[in-house]
Amino acid sequence: MIRVAAVGDIHMGPDSQGALRPAFETLGDCADLLLLAGDLTRHGTPEEARVVAREVAGLPVPVVAVLGNHDHHDERPDEVTAVLREAGVRVLEGEGTVVEAAGRRIGVAGTKGFGGGFAGRSGGEFGEPLMKEFIRYTRRCADGLRTSLEELAGQGCEERIALTHFAPVPDTLAGEPLEIYPFLGSYLLAEAIDAAGADLAVHGHAHAGTEHGMTSGGVPVRNVAQPVIRKAFNVYHLHGDRSGSETAAAGSR
Amino acid sequence: MNTPPDVEYRIAHLKERLAAEETGDLGIRIENRGSSVTVIGTVPTAHSRAALMDTVNEELAGLTVHSDVVVAECAAPDHPEEVE
Repeated sequence: MIRVAAVGDIHMGPDSQGALRPAFETLGDCADLLLLAGDLTRHGTPEEARVVAREVAGLPVPVVAVLGNHDHHDERPDEVTAVLREAGVRVLEGEGTVVEAAGRRIGVAGTKGFGGGFAGRSGGEFGEPLMKEFIRYTRRCADGLRTSLEELAGQGCEERIALTHFAPVPDTLAGEPLEIYPFLGSYLLAEAIDAAGADLAVHGHAHAGTEHGMTSGGVPVRNVAQPVIRKAFNVYHLHGDRSGSETAAAGSR
Repeated sequence: MNTPPDVEYRIAHLKERLAAEETGDLGIRIENRGSSVTVIGTVPTAHSRAALMDTVNEELAGLTVHSDVVVAECAAPDHPEEVE
């Protein structure tokens, strides 16, 4: 059994320094790793990133993160990433990382992801160049997620987790206005997760959504946006070899 | 009544300001409910809630505004979820 702590959308700024640290310092007792599901800052400035970095520096568990759309707003995602990495955070974009805990190898594949909508209600690569690029960008994120999950399977990970900011399924958006679903996530992310297999998918972004969902391939999905879970983080216990069976199922389809 | 035709545009402009300014609040919902406007959402700190409501009251001056904005809770969880 592994213990996964996760939270997203903490939107830190200078006035929130220290707000999460007391809860984060309990992680050594209840979790094997901490996932941060993007929107760690408000506008993606290095100053805000330093607040996040101080909040998670030196924690007793590894910290793995993806950025969110807010972390891109100031158009300096590389600087935000560098600040976080300097504090020891493993920041993922189209790549994976392996955490060893309790004698097990836990693989985390991460991408920010992007929008486009969900099956039957989605945009496509058609028309104006901007519209094509919108969907192609999401597709590149999804391809990176799939490749990373597949590579983690090849690295002997007993458990694999897909970490995104945007939502892979509409289930966890319940409570958000239907009109904005295409800006909240994309089925391409879920398709990648189902194709490669995973034990858990974690995302943020949808503040008014709900926590629990599932991909059509049976992978549990959790929306860990802080306004949704109403805590500093949630902890998920993973028990089985779900991703192995999912990979087999995907291969048989 | 708060139903002159410009109310929906004022709400749209307010949303743009909230995203761009100090609070960076894209997750805040602003609902026109006919006789009033309701602001709903979660913000990271009391300071950001005050800044948010200053902007809301400035943009929507003259309208009846109800605030359902809460500050994010930062306690550690008291139990895990067993994911089956």
